[in-house]
Formats: sequence, structure tokens, C-alpha cells
Amino acid sequence: KVTGSDGAPIPFATVQIKGTNTGTTTDQDGNFKLNASGSDVVLVIRSVGYTSQDLKVGAGSQANAVLQTSNESLQEVVVTALGVQRKKNELPYSAQTVVGEDLVKARESNIANSLSGKVSGLEVRRNNSLGGSTNVVLRGNKSLSGNSQALFIVDGVPIDNSNTNTADQQSGRAGYDYGNAAADINPDDIESVNVLKGAAASALYGSRASNGVIMITTKKGRRGLGVTINSGVTIGKVDPSTFAKYQNKYGAGYGAYYASPDGYFNYQDVNGDGVADLIVPTTEDASHGAPFDPSLNVYGWYSFDPGNPFYGKARPWVAAANDPTKFFQTAVSTVNSIMIDGGGDQGYFKLGYTKNIDKGLLPNSSIKKDQINFGASYNITPKLTASGSINTTILSGLGRYGTGYDSKNLMTNMRQWWETNVDVLEQRDAYFRNKTNATWNQATVGATNPIYWDNPYWTRYENYENDSRTRYFGNVMLNYKITDWVDVMGRVSMDTYNAQQEERIAIGSIDPSEYSRYNRSFSEFNYDLMLNFHKKLSNDFNLGGILGGNVRRTHVTSIDAKTNGGLLIPRLYALLNTANPLEAPIESDSTEEVDGIFAAANLAYKEMLFLDVTARRDKSSTLPKENNTYYYPSVSLGFLFSKLIHNTPWLSYAKARANYAEVGASAPGLYTRNYYDVPTGIDGVPLASVNNTKYNPNLKPERTKSWEAGLEAAFLESRVGFDVTYYNTKSTNQIVKMPVSRATGYDYKVVNAGEIQNKGIEVSVYGTPVKTPSFSWTINANWSRNRNKVNSLPEGVQNLQLNPASMQGGISINAALGQPYGTIRGSNFVYNEKGEKLVDSKGHYEISATSNEVIGNVNPDWIGGITNTLKYKDLSLSFLVDMRQGGDVFSLDMYYGLATGIYPETAGTNDLGNPVRSPIANGGGIIVKGVTADGKPNTTRASATNYGIYGYRYNPAAAFVYDASYIKLREVSLTYSLPRGVVSRIHPIKGVDFSLIGRNLWIIHKNLPYADPEEGMSSGNVQGYQSGAYPTARTFGFNAKVRF
Amino acid sequence: TKNLTDLNQNSKKPATVVAPTLFANAELNITNAMTSTSVNVNIFRLLAQYWTETTYPDESQYDLSTRNIPQEFWHRLYRDVLNDLNEAKKVVNEDATLDAAVKKNQLAQIEIVTIYTYNVILNTFGNIPYTDAMDIDNLSPKYDDAKTVYLDLLARLDAANANLDPAAASFGNSDILYKGNVAGWKKMASSLKMRMWMVLADDEPAKAKAGIEQASPNAFTSAADNAVFQYSTVPPNTNPLWVDLVQSGRLDFVGANTLVDTMNALSDPRRPFFFGEAAGGGYKGGIYGTSNDYSAFSPVGDLLRKKDFPSIWIDYTEVEFLRAEAIERGMTGVAGTAATHYTNAVTASIISWGGTDAEAATYLAQPQVAYATATGGYKGKIGVQKWLALYNRGFEAWTEWRRLDFPKLVKPEEAQSEIPLRYPYPVSEQNLNQTNYDAAAKAIGGDVVTTKLFWDKF
Repeated sequence: KVTGSDGAPIPFATVQIKGTNTGTTTDQDGNFKLNASGSDVVLVIRSVGYTSQDLKVGAGSQANAVLQTSNESLQEVVVTALGVQRKKNELPYSAQTVVGEDLVKARESNIANSLSGKVSGLEVRRNNSLGGSTNVVLRGNKSLSGNSQALFIVDGVPIDNSNTNTADQQSGRAGYDYGNAAADINPDDIESVNVLKGAAASALYGSRASNGVIMITTKKGRRGLGVTINSGVTIGKVDPSTFAKYQNKYGAGYGAYYASPDGYFNYQDVNGDGVADLIVPTTEDASHGAPFDPSLNVYGWYSFDPGNPFYGKARPWVAAANDPTKFFQTAVSTVNSIMIDGGGDQGYFKLGYTKNIDKGLLPNSSIKKDQINFGASYNITPKLTASGSINTTILSGLGRYGTGYDSKNLMTNMRQWWETNVDVLEQRDAYFRNKTNATWNQATVGATNPIYWDNPYWTRYENYENDSRTRYFGNVMLNYKITDWVDVMGRVSMDTYNAQQEERIAIGSIDPSEYSRYNRSFSEFNYDLMLNFHKKLSNDFNLGGILGGNVRRTHVTSIDAKTNGGLLIPRLYALLNTANPLEAPIESDSTEEVDGIFAAANLAYKEMLFLDVTARRDKSSTLPKENNTYYYPSVSLGFLFSKLIHNTPWLSYAKARANYAEVGASAPGLYTRNYYDVPTGIDGVPLASVNNTKYNPNLKPERTKSWEAGLEAAFLESRVGFDVTYYNTKSTNQIVKMPVSRATGYDYKVVNAGEIQNKGIEVSVYGTPVKTPSFSWTINANWSRNRNKVNSLPEGVQNLQLNPASMQGGISINAALGQPYGTIRGSNFVYNEKGEKLVDSKGHYEISATSNEVIGNVNPDWIGGITNTLKYKDLSLSFLVDMRQGGDVFSLDMYYGLATGIYPETAGTNDLGNPVRSPIANGGGIIVKGVTADGKPNTTRASATNYGIYGYRYNPAAAFVYDASYIKLREVSLTYSLPRGVVSRIHPIKGVDFSLIGRNLWIIHKNLPYADPEEGMSSGNVQGYQSGAYPTARTFGFNAKVRF
Repeated sequence: TKNLTDLNQNSKKPATVVAPTLFANAELNITNAMTSTSVNVNIFRLLAQYWTETTYPDESQYDLSTRNIPQEFWHRLYRDVLNDLNEAKKVVNEDATLDAAVKKNQLAQIEIVTIYTYNVILNTFGNIPYTDAMDIDNLSPKYDDAKTVYLDLLARLDAANANLDPAAASFGNSDILYKGNVAGWKKMASSLKMRMWMVLADDEPAKAKAGIEQASPNAFTSAADNAVFQYSTVPPNTNPLWVDLVQSGRLDFVGANTLVDTMNALSDPRRPFFFGEAAGGGYKGGIYGTSNDYSAFSPVGDLLRKKDFPSIWIDYTEVEFLRAEAIERGMTGVAGTAATHYTNAVTASIISWGGTDAEAATYLAQPQVAYATATGGYKGKIGVQKWLALYNRGFEAWTEWRRLDFPKLVKPEEAQSEIPLRYPYPVSEQNLNQTNYDAAAKAIGGDVVTTKLFWDKF
């Protein structure tokens, strides 16, 4: 039986015969049974969160172990590369574990988001789109143009985490964010997550692990039968600090050039009384028009909307009662899960089902996930164990949010191009009245068709997308114990999914009607054969090792088709409903294979010095034959020097470690040969075109060289401890799809060149300031800073533009020689030698002639997170504060929104106390801060009557670059567990936990107005740009967990 | 295992194609770039003050940077046109089975479209990558002096023209411009030659004289010779104007007062073809470069909204104007009188838009139009009428305005700069080819819109 120091049984603990792979796990009551032959067997008992213990037992005897709890225990068991379990104090490289409980506490459905702030060196960039993709980067961007995201591995199965977002979508143009595939991992099935940050830790995985690995271990079955039921609901409300505020003084218009006497209104006789009437210029998607004046009666879009209560009527000219804030609904998310597990002498099983429904902030949006997890293990003979798992995720998305600068992204409308006189709830009623596109943005006086923007509810309910992804991943495995110290494992693992995305634009929308459909099928098989050995060489020396081989084969096909030139039959979304013959669908089909062999050895001396050596050789199909084989060596040394320091009771533990590794990386598929594109022919004349990328038949593998050194220590019986790591990574010979001068005839050339250096420091600190039997307070803090620099670029190129499509606002995201990866370039202010901004003779800022000035850097100075956990008897309160210092973001929302006069700062008063928008003759206008060419302060008053003065028209892009720092109260959870005494009386229930949870409750500090500085467009290399940013939801919830 | 590398093949795209498909695609792409009115690509109709914008006057006020307009235009010409031509040339050259005369014709036509395209790039930007261009092994192509390039293009044009053999076949129907009519290409090459030399007339008068005198007899003699690209009624190969003006549902453009007022003053018979009537009747232009109420002004005419509205590369009207100007410039080898060619040009323009001979005669009889009595010197007379005749061909109109300085265009009050005399180089060049970009900017006298191109002497 295994119990904790408090006497409570420890379920789930691993019991293993020392020096072998034979073992079992404890059941719900902490009991275990193990057949061991021979006398003097030593059992190793391990459980996450506890100090592991060796226990000597005689044959046929009872064994009782009492494990000591540890926080961030250095004795803790962690799962390392290829699933090998090791004690943390033996590890000669940096790895950080997060237990599953801590990840699911806040009931976040995307595991990648849950990691934010919890691991040093890990930068998580999420976005607020429902089910949107999350960028997960360890120790900085290592690839110039390829993927820099960490690899996810679930129980040894690599999980493809790519997104299928288009180049346009990633550059902030039209599209949807279809999310990243790691979201298919069921958080409730996670036992623990171990983050292998450096190459030395992950080198055994080969090329795909060059960006680090997030190793996920799922729950295993326990002895006996257990049932856990989780049921929770959370609701989300817009955090007002992350959405636009609207001025309420001026309405629709860009300026005074209309027919009415004041120039702000259309002027025609609407009611037939022979007198011209004031008509709102509905075409003008800005709020730089007439000052609101309730004494004016005006005709607006409502007057021309048949069935509207105000049809044919005029109304007072006032700001809308319901601004776009009212457009958002309460997000509701429910998670219900049941996990059944059990086991006995012969093996275990687990079975889980989770249903997750997320309804977004926008109307008609939802993501539903059904997840089934099954795993089992069976001891066929004492030497032969068979095990396997299969996981299914069926995801269906509806009405994902449009992203970027596009009519389907309503935030573009509401943050950049809005009329403050438009009442969104009236738009809602107008849409639902007849289900027509009853837009506020009517094309001409009296017309009901749109000119630039659809009715927002029409957009949500008619022009919606839907998508599905059915994914299966799992493995089957046989383990055979050849002798006491050698066993062999064979495993086939699979990850496969089919995804479909359907997008529609209804007849009657501003964009031409269209239906498009995209299907992608992905499959990856890994075949592993591995020999494991553990041998005690002498009293002082222990040797462990691995010898193995891996074959990975990935096959992806896709087909993308859309209607041509419009739809014929309303609301029929099928390819046959095309106004013109279909253009040929775009197909792709690619296969990759990597054959690897690897070996690892770890030698321990007196459980004090640990030497790890690994080597792997890969042969990849995506490289040319002559260059397709490459090697990854690593060597690591750990020194548990606390073993040498005696008589220092305050020092519990201290270890120094250092390692060096080289990792190769292969090319993406289809990078070695050139092909032509075949555009749709014109009237029977066939066309062909050279592909915009020049591929390279002479590619060589990429190389990342890294070293790392770290120190970890714990004091006062592990009440306090720290872990510090310094790393330095150089990625050379990069396989770059490099944007090139178009004078070459190409957009991109695939080359082998360039070097990025990442170096940084990671610090984790933990402590338990208070610990009494009934109360404890624990702090875990992570902090990291990464500095990256582009050391070289191919063939004399000075700068590499990262955005694949051109970005609105004339800016670009770049990797420039000698600069960090991710500089924002664009037009700048012109400064004099004193650093003062120059102002021209009209009172406007001078704007640099070129758009290649560096105006920002997207990389943070540092990131960090602090988790506090307070426990009082059965009550536990935990909260995480997540921080990012520095890094810039360009806001297209401010660039346009300040020009169109939406925001309050465009409708204030000037230095004379007059409304800025009043004509200069009446004391309006503004004097911008700066100096004239002669160095004297600017005194020229610039007009703010017509649109633009605060926005893009009279200011450089640099004026809209903001500091993206934030401090957030990311997660709060308050959990009450029914006391043991109570639980024991309500048999068969073994435990009940109630939790109140909150996510993203409070942005304690930020510098970006009206938006969340974290918000982005997509995972990938282009960061630091916002267009049509979605607000952040404050999420509150309740969860009940019952264990039987 | 068998050869792993065999897995790395794209089975869904061709690894080889025939040259006519590449040539047809290049013709289509250059025509699209020159015809589009997307504010992301082509704003020449605005620069020529034919049209102006309604709600968003940014481009009419010369904001070229927000939408990266020079970049998109540059990319389309180098990447989507020149690279396919370059490839077509390679494929033709490597085709051992092709009849020698056909091969020669095909190469000559590829050459002419290449020259046409470079000439557009050059007249837009100034110094441009040329000798180093179209070489993917040179990622930092240097910029060549505009005049040197210009003269080289003219030499190449002569050589290409000489190689054309009307007796032999060429690209057949894949030549969308002339449907395989090689004789048409010969006339087109001579007409293009006239246009190009005339641009140099102030800079190299003697050479221009010789060039134009040689080309004129071989250039277009009627509208039947015109180089016209016939669009399809089937998307995606419709006229891009249809996409922007009709399919988009947007109402971005109205006739500019600069043009409409001029036409009203002359009772121009082309008005109903160029524009629709404004609300309340008559033709009324929006104030150029300000925000305009769409409903108050003349919309773009219905003819230009047709899916398959053809796009003109060069036409008889233009050639007749060139002949008239040549005679005025003392290029004595050009036959006829300036007045006759001018009258022919104006008449051909009116008829090509749908007017009648009678309307043309009435129009030309007006003292402000008649060559003998119109004012402004030959540059003014030809400049204004050519501007009217080049309607819908914004790029040529902008170039002729820069060259002739007529009509007298005025920048709008809210303009962000003077009227552009060139485009600034694209952001992509600033970022990706910086050293050569810096050198080019310096060489031309600054990468700003007010830098005059070398041939722009007045």
C-alpha cells in the first residue's frame, strides 16, 4: 500500500522493480500487487508530485510505502524523450513539468493556451478568435521562414500542430483561423506535461524536435475500478478594456460635401411634402459627419428598410442607444466528461468521453468537440506486455470569426469603419424581420443593397463558415522483457485526420456570392523498435541505454474548390450552384518519409554524476538523395554536487548541468523540384505560369547547434528552490523560403543559408512561505528572456520579409540582418537632429519617404508568470498572473479608426477649449506636437473637420505602433474538496471537488488602447499586427468533479 | 528501401508545359495590370484625372503607400508577365522539333511583349533592374540607367520586328492579341516604336526623328490594325473593370470634373459612352481629389462595365496623334500634315467609342477643336485631344501628360504631394534589395514622386 505523509492513499503511483521495466500502478486506495521473483527485490515507488522512494521487500511480503510530498520536487519522476521515465535529479538538461491538474484547473479547452505563464522559456501567443490557433515557441524563433513551434507528443505519438490558415489570413487579410491541431488533445486525459526545452533533451526525436518538445503523458488505468465525472460550465463576457469605445458627439460622414445646407446630409424630398429632407449619408462608414443634434429630424437606413417601425419616418439625429458593444453575446462553454479506469494483476484500462461545447462571443458561433479516449495494457506473460490507446476527436466548428482586413471580420467594421448613429440592436431586428441583408450601409439614397458593409447579423447568420475535423490518434505496443536488464519494445503509432472547411457568401452580400469547400486528409504513421537496458555495472556505476529505429511516413492530400462568378440559387451551398463553369479545384498530394536510427546511453556515477550521450541518424525523403542523411549528437553532464556537501541541513539539493547538442532539420515536402501553375484558360486558350517559388534541387539539412548550462537547488527541506538555465542556440544553413526582389521574376527562392541566434535565461523559483497542517501557501514563478538576432542572410540579402502577402497599412514584419527576428518596418516620423518630430507647413507631421524604417520589434523583453496557491484545509485558492514586458504591435484598428472618427479622442476639445472638429475659423483644429524645419515649435493649427487628422492620412505607420506589454490575472480557481470524513459516509463516492474558476479576469496593465495586446491573427511567424482585433472574454465558471 | 527521394514529387502539377500557354498567360497578365481599376494595383485613371473617388479619396490625393500600390504593380509586371515570357523563350529555344520560321516568329513576339512590359515599368519608376533582372541566381539585381535601358529596348524592338515573318505561323489562337496574325504584330511593333521614340523626342531629338520616320509608314493605317485584347464573358478572365465596377457592388468612382467639364465645354459626342448621366440629367464630374457624393455625379459608362469589354494596347488613334506631333516636331519624313493626322485621330476615336462620322465632323468643326484654330500650340492641341482619346487608358494618358504637360492638371487641395511624376519604388525593393535600391534612388535624384524621369524635360 502506498500512502502519503497524511495517511491518505496515493492512487496512481508507479511501482517498479528496480533495474527492470516490470511494474504496476496503485489503485484508488493506494494498493498494489506485484509478482516479483527472488528475494531482496527493491521496488521503486514513484508518483508525480511526490518524492520517489526505494523500498526493499522480501518475497511474498507486504510492502508499505509512505511517500513524502514535494513541490517541484527534484526527486520527481518525469517522462523524457521516447517515453523514458527518469528522476528529475538525474536529468542533465532543462525540463519543466506541469501536472495535468494545474492545466485543467481553469477549464481551458485548448491545452496550448493553458501553458501560458506556467513554463519558463515558453512563449504562448494566442488570439481571441473562437477556436483560434495558438503559437507555442520555446526559446525563440529558430527558423527564418519555416516552423518554429514546439512539437507536441502524446504518449510517444507526435501530434501534428500545423494550422491550415492561408497566406492572406496570416498577413491580416481575409480568412478564418481554423485553429491548431494540438487543440485536439483532451485536457482531461492529461496526467502531466513535460516541456523539453533544449535540443539535448529532444535530440532523440530527430528533426521535428529541433524547436523543443511538449511531452504529454495521458492518464493510465489504476488498480480496481474508478470513475471520475467532471461537469463544468463557464460564461464569458467582453472585457471592456479590450474593445472600442465610441464618441457620441458626431455621426455618419467623412466631411461636409453633401447636398444639405450644412453639407453633412443628403438632401431630397423623402416624404413628398415638396421640401427637401435631411438624409443620413448611409454610404459613409465613418463618424466624421454632422454633430448630433436631437432637434434635427433625419431619414436614415431605417426609413428605407421595408417593415422597419421607422420605415418612411424621420428620427432625431442622436448617437445610437446601442453601440457595437451590444453585438457581443455571452460566451457559454460546457465541458462534461467521464473517465472510467481500472486494473488488476494482468493490466489496466481507461475509457474516457468528453463533450465540450463552446459558444462564442459572436452570434451564431460554436465549436463542439467530442473526445473519446481509450487505453489499455495487458500482461500476456510476465515478460510480454501488450498495450495500446486510441483517441478520437470529432470537432465541428460553426461561424468561426472572420479575421483580418475583410468584410467578414466585423471587428474591422466596428473598430475601423463605423457610424456611431447606427444602433446594432436595430440592425439585429432588421435582419431577423425578413432575413434580408438590411444593412445600415445602403449604397444610395433609398436603396437597400449594401455598398461596403453588410448588416452584421447577415454576416453572422448567412455568410458563415462551418468546418469539421475527425481525428484519430493512438498506438499499439508490445513490450518484451528479454532478460532482467534488457527489454524490447515495438510500437506502431498513428495520427490521422480528415478536415473539411466550407465557406459561404450569400447572394445579396457586398462580396460576390460564393461557396467554397476545402478538404484535407492527413495521416502519419510511426514505426518504432526500441531496445532498452538498465545495468548496474558496479556499486558505483549504473548504465542505461536505448538502441532503436524509427520510420515515419506522412501523407497529406487536399482539394480546394469554389464556385465561379457567383451563385444562382439562394442559400444553396453546393459546388453545382455555380453561375459559371467551375474553375479546376486546387489539389495537393505529398508524402514524406524519414527513416531514423538512434542510440542513447546514460551513465551514473554514485548517483551523483550523470552523463548522457545520444546520437541519431535520419534519412529524409524531402532532401535530395546526396544530402538526405544527417546526424544529431548530444552530450549532457549533470553533477549533483549537494551529495558532496554534508552537514548542511538547509541545503536539500543542488545540481549543476551542462549540455551540448546538434540537431538537423529536413526540408518541408516538395521543396526540391519546380512545377508550373495552370490558371483557368481564357475562352478555350490554355494558360500556364511559372510558379512564384523557385525550388532547390541541392538542398542540405538545416543545423541547430545549442548549448545550455543550468543550476538548480532546493533549500529547507525543499520548501524553497530555484532552477536557472542559460542557453545559446545557433541555427545555421537554414532552409529558407526566402522572399526575393521580384525583379528576379519570383516571390520566393528556396535556399540554404542564414543563421539565427537565440540566447536567453530561464528562471523558475518556487517556495512555500507558509506550511502548517491546515494552511499552506505556495508560490511558483517563471521568468525568461530571450534575445534573438539574425546573424546572416543568404547571398548578400539584408532583409527578409516574413509576411507572405502584403499587409494593409504599408508595413511589413521582417528578419533583418543584425536585427531581432520580427521587426516592424513602415513609414516613420521625420525627426530632426534633436530627435524632435518635424511638422510641415500645413501643420501635419512629416512622413518618411520610404516604408522601410524600423518602427517596432515584436519580441518581448521578457515574459513571466507567478502562480500562488493557498490551501486551507479542504479549500484551495490558486491564481496565476501572466506577464509580458515589451514587444510592439501595429494596430490597423487605430490607424483607420482614429481617421474615421470613431474613438473619443477624435472628438475632444483643443488647447483653446473648443471642439477640435470645429472649423479653424471657429477656433477648432489641433496643433500637433513637433517642430517646423527651422526648429521652432509648431504653431500651425491643422483642421480636424474632415476625417483623417488623427489617423492614417496624416500620420506615419509609426504612430500606430504600440507597446504590447501586459500584466494579466490569467487564471483564478477556488476549489473546495469535500472532507474525507464526509466523503467516506457517502459510499461509493470517493471524492468531490467543487471549483469556481475564472480566466482572463483582469488586465492589470497594458498600453494598447481598446484591445488586448496579446491578440493576433494566427499562429505562425507573422506576429505583432492587429486588424479587426477581437475583444478578450472574461470567463467565469463552475466545475464539479466527482470520483467514484 | 527504394529511393526515398522519389516520394518528393508533386503529382498534381505539371513539370513541363508548352510555350504558347506561357505566352498567352503573359498577354493576359500585362493586360490585367494595365486595365484594372483596383486601388491596390492601378490608379492611373485617377492620376490622369479621368475619374475621381467618392468616399475614399486617398489615391486621388496621391496616397500611394497605404495600399502598397507601386509594389503590387511592380510585382505583377516582373513576376506575372516578364517571368512567364522569359520561361516561354527558354521553352521555345529548347524545342528542337519546332519549325525554324515559327520559332523565329514566336521568339520575336515574346520579345515584343517583353519590350512593351519593360517600357511600362521604366516609364513608371525610372531606373529599373534590367540586365540583372529575371535571374533567380542574382538576388540583388542592380538597377540600370533608365535611358540606357530605353535605348536598348528600342534596338531590341527593331531586331524583333525584322525577325517577324508574316508568311509563317506563330502562336495561333494562343496569341490573344492577333490570333496568330504575324503581319499584325509587325504593324504593332512599328507603332510601339513610334510611341517609344516620341517619349524620347525631347531628350534625343535626332534619334527620335530617325526612328519615327522609319516606323511611321509601317505602323497602323486603320482601326482594323489595333492591338486589342478581347476579354471573356466567363470569370475569372473577364475585364477587371467589370470585377471592380459591377461585381463588387461598390460605387467607388465617378467621372472627374477635370474631364467632364472639358467634354461639356466641347459638347463631346463621346460623353454618353464614357459616362452615365448624373441624377437630374446631364454630365457632371465629381470634384477631383475630394470626397464626392456618388449619387450627385456622372458614373462610369455602361460600355466599360461589360464583362468582355476589350482592352487596347495601342491603336490607330494614338498612332495618328503621334504622326501629327512628329510633323510638328519637324520630323519631315512623316507623310501628310499635322492637321490631317489630328483630324483622323479624333475621328477614329469618336467612331471607335460608338460615335458617327457626322458627330466627329461637327465636333471637329468647333473652333476650340479644329486644328487650325485650337489654342495651346501643338502640345496643347494634341495634348488635350489625345487625353480625351486615351480615356480608360490611364497609364498612357498619365505618360502623355508628363511628356506634353497638357491638359493642365491641378493637384487637389488635400493632396499629399505634387502630382506624381513617377512611382516610388516598392516597399519590397526597399526591404529586399536595399543596396541597389539606395543606389537607384540616389541616381535618379531621390525616390520620391516628384523626381522627373530622364525624358521628362519640361
